[in-house]
Amino acid sequence: MPRLTTRERRERYEREYSFQKRHGKPFFPNAVFHDTIVSLVVVALIMGMTILWHAQFGGVPGEGTAERIGGLLGPAYEAKADPGVLGYDPRPDWYFFFLFELLRIFKTPELLIVGSIIIPTIWMVLLIGWPFIDRNPDRRLSRRPIALALGVTVPIVLLALTFYGSKAPGAAGAVSNEPGAAAFAAGSCSTCHTLANAGTAGNVGPVLDQAMPDYARVLDLVTNGQGGMPAFKATYSEDEIKCLAGYVATWAGATGTTPGPNAASAKDVYPAACAKAGGLFAGTAASAAGP
Amino acid sequence: MSTLLPPPAEIAKIPVDWVEERSGLISFGKFMLFRNVPKDISWLQTLGSALITVFILQATTGIVLAMYYQPDPDTAWNTIKFITDDATLGWLVRGMHKWGSSVMVVLLFLHMGRTFLFGAYKYPREMTWITGAIIFILVMGMSFTGYLLVFDERAYWATVVGVNINGTAPILGPTLSYILMVGPEISTHTLSRFYALHMLVLPSAIGGLIALHLWLVIRLGVTSPPWSRMQSNEGDV
Repeated sequence: MPRLTTRERRERYEREYSFQKRHGKPFFPNAVFHDTIVSLVVVALIMGMTILWHAQFGGVPGEGTAERIGGLLGPAYEAKADPGVLGYDPRPDWYFFFLFELLRIFKTPELLIVGSIIIPTIWMVLLIGWPFIDRNPDRRLSRRPIALALGVTVPIVLLALTFYGSKAPGAAGAVSNEPGAAAFAAGSCSTCHTLANAGTAGNVGPVLDQAMPDYARVLDLVTNGQGGMPAFKATYSEDEIKCLAGYVATWAGATGTTPGPNAASAKDVYPAACAKAGGLFAGTAASAAGP
Repeated sequence: MSTLLPPPAEIAKIPVDWVEERSGLISFGKFMLFRNVPKDISWLQTLGSALITVFILQATTGIVLAMYYQPDPDTAWNTIKFITDDATLGWLVRGMHKWGSSVMVVLLFLHMGRTFLFGAYKYPREMTWITGAIIFILVMGMSFTGYLLVFDERAYWATVVGVNINGTAPILGPTLSYILMVGPEISTHTLSRFYALHMLVLPSAIGGLIALHLWLVIRLGVTSPPWSRMQSNEGDV
């Protein structure tokens, strides 16, 4: 189709649309009838999902149980939020799975920003600015090969990201006996980080066996957070944080029972801090070696 | 005396005429309802009105939920439990709000896909597309802010991760995260801030944009499908 001047374009639209209007049909009742039927179907669908969801709660929960046993559509609610909880596997709701998966693809600290900011921003700019990017005046798909290719690819990519995001693994595997290992594996750390010694395979944040941070760095990150990493100073006590930092500095990049390259940076606090923190932090190796 | 009273049909018209004379709303309504649309518009073009229905549903159920909900970390979860377990038909209201949000996101995708495939964003309807795209982004914001309000484990941790993703942005990121959470971590203030965004800021912005979007649809006319044979030819001009 040849390029038209602004005036020709307007006149052409006005000519064609007035013709279609003249030969058209009134909005009411024709289009309104179709709209009403589709709206009713949608409301019925929402009600149907709600009823199915409610019917599958699993009844009134027993004494002291916060979590409902859910069916196909999940529980009514999980336990009340507890910032200090160990071993929770955070996940977004399904409509953010694509972003979740994108972050798993760009998981190294240098690339994280590509998945978290750059790609979503490009998407938003393309989405809003699309009418200015696609200047082809033709509306027939057979004359819009590029738009058609995009219109097929983008939904497939989004669906694939959503699908893989929904299958994203949790954490926690075999746990070593070193002090701090059990707390690392059971706590929030494991969800995002891979650390062979703790048997975790999270891949939202950096792989600690590759990053091999020293004690001071882990201590700062766990305490204050940075970027995608939450701050844990309100969650864990000082000894608990020292224990985790010492554990990570010692065992990141370890081969078998030989500690990693930064083990020396933690030798003043680890494993003493773990013994002081006690509980899950102490680890069986510490209790065996302790007083 | 009775000759002074007009016939009943005329009496009924009095308030209608009164409104019409002052606002022109009656003739606008008639124009909207009885304006001609292209003969061959398809079933695919009903998704927009279905979205308005879901928006109204979300607003209505949201208002009912707001009557019971308390945006406080100590009580939020308990009020949700009360609504779900104890309030009359509370499970239905809450469930429809919850599932309505998912259906809304899916319908938005379909509506946008239909517009894309029909090329309905082309001249002169660019602005209709832009308002729609902004509505889409705001609805994702509704989903994100609404998710925390339930205040269960999933809601809490998903929000921590989400806000921190935000924080990876250069320069403004950490400040944005701080503003969203009102501090370095999720607290009472985070919950009331999300609640205010979720039920005041975002819905009014979406409502206003829907009104503009609809006005543009009415002003520019509904697009006929790209396969439409209803093209004017020389003889009609």
